[in-house]
Amino acid sequence: MLRQLQIHQLQVRFNGEQILNDLSFKVAPGELFAIIGPNGAGKSTLLKSILGLIHPQQGDVSILGDHRKVIVGYVPQSRVIDDETPISASDFVSLGQISGFLPWLSRKEKKALNEIMQFTDTKRLANKPIGTLSGGERQRVFLAQALVRKPDLLLLDESTANLDPEAQIQMMELVKNAAKEWGVTALFICHDLQMVGTYADHVLLLSRQGYKTGHPEDILHDRKLMTTVFHGSSSENGTMHHVPTESELPLAGFPQ
Amino acid sequence: MFQYDFMQHAFIAGTLIAMMCGVIGVFIIARSLSFIAHTLSHIGFAGAAFSAYAGIDPLLGLLLFTIAGAVGVGQLGVRMYRRDASISVILSLALGLGILFLSLGNIQGNYSRTLLFGSVVGIDMQDIWQIVLITVLVLVVLAVGYRWLKFDSFDQVGAQSAGLPIRLISIGFLLLMAAATSVTVQIVGALLVFALMTVPAAAARFYTQSIFGMILISTLIAVLSVWFGLIAGYYTNAPISFFIVFFNAISYFFGMFFHRVRERRRVLAP
Ligand SMILES: Nc1ncnc2c1ncn2[C@@H]1O[C@H](COP(=O)(O)OP(=O)(O)O)[C@@H](O)[C@H]1O
Ligand SMILES: [Mg+2]
Repeated sequence: MLRQLQIHQLQVRFNGEQILNDLSFKVAPGELFAIIGPNGAGKSTLLKSILGLIHPQQGDVSILGDHRKVIVGYVPQSRVIDDETPISASDFVSLGQISGFLPWLSRKEKKALNEIMQFTDTKRLANKPIGTLSGGERQRVFLAQALVRKPDLLLLDESTANLDPEAQIQMMELVKNAAKEWGVTALFICHDLQMVGTYADHVLLLSRQGYKTGHPEDILHDRKLMTTVFHGSSSENGTMHHVPTESELPLAGFPQ
Repeated sequence: MFQYDFMQHAFIAGTLIAMMCGVIGVFIIARSLSFIAHTLSHIGFAGAAFSAYAGIDPLLGLLLFTIAGAVGVGQLGVRMYRRDASISVILSLALGLGILFLSLGNIQGNYSRTLLFGSVVGIDMQDIWQIVLITVLVLVVLAVGYRWLKFDSFDQVGAQSAGLPIRLISIGFLLLMAAATSVTVQIVGALLVFALMTVPAAAARFYTQSIFGMILISTLIAVLSVWFGLIAGYYTNAPISFFIVFFNAISYFFGMFFHRVRERRRVLAP
């Protein structure tokens, strides 16, 4: 079980450009934590920093577990599946079983694989080549691969993007159940604010100008805040996009 | 046929090498490294020619050159080297060097032919022991590193996400390819290493969707092709390499046909 995830004064720059600036927040164990914000805000960068794939210039990420080392499951944003490699969905999920050293699966591992595929509703896809699956099916297979390692912390980067509403709900229900059944803590990046409103316990709204964390109702219903951040996406009679200054966007840390 | 020592040796050596090529080939194909395999075998050719010129054990020269080649290729970058033109340059340079060493060393045409096209007649017990040693080494490393290598080969993004050291895996695999190439070149020749290392694995993908299944089928095709080559070569006096390549090509095209038919059936099925 994850005990706590804390981001402390995180700063990430790419080629001198400030992407994440003095970002601090906490995630409680077992919660579903949504990250929203416009494209290029640094959402994926944040997840990669938590994973350790990116080394921040300043600040730190502390991940505390109960006793064993915290296992992090990550479903990245872009995953090109080579249709020329038609491996089956169950083999694809099983790729995530890396703790053993034997070339074949132990009975326990087979059981775990079966359980996860049942859980993610991918059992009936088990023998299908991964290249032939639909978008929603693929995302569930990716999720299964991340879950089969029994992660304490799950990071999902736009796993519901490009899915139809039904598949989105199915995906979010899976994450919710994983949290409920195994105490998984989940951070998910999502553009569908309705999904965020329904499933998130807390929300981080991220933009280049600042950030804000809080309960979904407080963030999502703050009309002024939301329009300032997402201004670029609302099409207002073709005028230039207004770039908000620091003072227009209330900068805030973690509300205690 | 088996009353001759050289045929016994050829069968032992050929079977071991085919097994190794069949297994490693699955990962070569999954990692899209066919062309690298081809290049490494030419680097091996240069190494063997160098050995003949310098008067050292052929395997030593082969290993020296292919390992240096693998490290060099690894330095070119984990991703970019697959399509990079520099690989073609390295391949031609290796071929040129090989020809240079052969001429400098005044090597007989016979030996040059062996290096390029392979030979099974000259295998002695010492060669067999070398082959056993390297084959076992390669297969053991593949078995121990199987889960990591499999993850990285079939889903690199996932492997990186799960925190696997993908750079290490990449270099490690190139080194295994170097070792495998070095022993294989001696038997099937530089030009056909490629055929034994990639065609069985490419064919296997048509027959199964399971990774383990691919490894089994690929190994089976590779071993059968070598047996077929040795037997047919023995009775006809035609080059063994031809029969090996022929068998592999048949397996590949039959697999393609089999795959098409099955696909069509699946599409037509309600
Ligand atoms: N590895 C990188 N090198 C340089 N710039 C990067 C890198 N990764 C991301 N960026 C830049 O950082 C910014 C934020 O990217 P990202 O975190 O992917 O945004 P989001 O996921 O919120 O859409 C973008 O402008 C992107 O171009
Ligand atoms: Mg992103």
